[in-house]
Amino acid sequence: MREPTLLILTAMTDGPRHGYGIVQEVRVLSGGQVSLLTGTLYTALDRLTAEGLVEHDHEEQVDGRVRRYYRLTAGGLAALTAETARLRQLTTAVEARLRAVHPRTV
Amino acid sequence: MTDKLTRRYRRLLFAYPGAYRRLRGEELLGALLDAAPSGRTWPTVREAANLIRHGLRARLGRPASRTVVAWTVLTVVISGVFSAAFATRAGWQTARPLPRAAEAQAMLAEILPGQKFIGLQDAPALFVIYGQPLSWNSAQDLLFGDGGEYGQSGIAGGVDAPTLPPQETVALVQHNLRARGWRIYSLKVDGQDTAIVAQRGDTVLRMDVYPPQAAISPPINAGFLRATPFAVYPFGITGGILGALVAFLLFGWASRRTEGRHPALSVVAKMLLGITLFFWWVPTLFAFQWMTRHYQDQPNPSWPPMWEWLGQPTLSLLFLIGCGSALLGLALAAIPRHENEPLSTAAA
Repeated sequence: MREPTLLILTAMTDGPRHGYGIVQEVRVLSGGQVSLLTGTLYTALDRLTAEGLVEHDHEEQVDGRVRRYYRLTAGGLAALTAETARLRQLTTAVEARLRAVHPRTV
Repeated sequence: MTDKLTRRYRRLLFAYPGAYRRLRGEELLGALLDAAPSGRTWPTVREAANLIRHGLRARLGRPASRTVVAWTVLTVVISGVFSAAFATRAGWQTARPLPRAAEAQAMLAEILPGQKFIGLQDAPALFVIYGQPLSWNSAQDLLFGDGGEYGQSGIAGGVDAPTLPPQETVALVQHNLRARGWRIYSLKVDGQDTAIVAQRGDTVLRMDVYPPQAAISPPINAGFLRATPFAVYPFGITGGILGALVAFLLFGWASRRTEGRHPALSVVAKMLLGITLFFWWVPTLFAFQWMTRHYQDQPNPSWPPMWEWLGQPTLSLLFLIGCGSALLGLALAAIPRHENEPLSTAAA
């Protein structure tokens, strides 16, 4: 799973979000490192929807603008959990190796 | 301010397919306007490039597919190359007709005076098959193995009884060509044959001179061809771009139309794409490799016509099988969806 995908899925863990809401949350989650453009976000949402990881929740009209909300599916949550475990395992292995070579840096 | 930005975003959303725009356009627009800082009237270049790139990706449908882009590239490249080749053929129509027999005789008299060239006959067309212009009667020859006979025609003749020895003939021809403004492109001695290739304006001369011991009759052969006209290049580039664009739009349309359909229809559509690409790519790659080797040592001021590099019309039957398969695929995509079949996921 690529970093933007991980962040998009994570942005929806605490409830449904609309497109711009996801962009804002991804920026916060990444500490300002990842700034999704709208085209990129919607291509990712289309792919995640087709893969069954994300689904449409509801629609709102705010100031005449359409906001469609997306939520994580059970499959999406499972994929995110599995990816988190994989990353944790990887990080643990890297940390252990670094600690062995440079005990004071980690 | 916002109206201007909205209008400009809407224009950029044309990169997305129509059905997608109808279903998701307002939502995308809302997200774009939400993300835009107040006072902005133009989308940023990065934003515009991003929308165009992802809009074009949306045109291919199948958002979860990791291979659809690769299939599109294969289809678009080969379609563009073939379209460019056919357009160059149209560009050749701008070439002047070949010199008539009398004119050719006069030019040869300047180049090699005192020698009587015989056998000069007016060429019926710039490109011929078995000496005749292309017609429906030649379709069978073109398709079933004799397509290689289709080629550029020339006007040629020979000297049966030269009065000068070969070396003097070659020296005299070179001198006269230079004196009359011809550029000698190549002088090649291959075994006993001395081949002289020269160009003046849009006329190319090839002369072969054989010594008496070669026992070749006639021992001097000379012919004129037309050089590639300049229009071939803009025709080729324009045709290639248009062909690639049309192929992209058709591929995207068929891909979206066949997405999420009955499994049998989906399998047949993929098979037809595979057959099309096989019959378009494989013969072309073989032909290109063959031409690269074959023409490396040929003295020629003009490249062979582009279609010959693609193996056309020698392998036109295989190309037509690919075309038939592509048309069947498009026909399959045109079959309307049943009510219980889902829409393309990207547009759902």
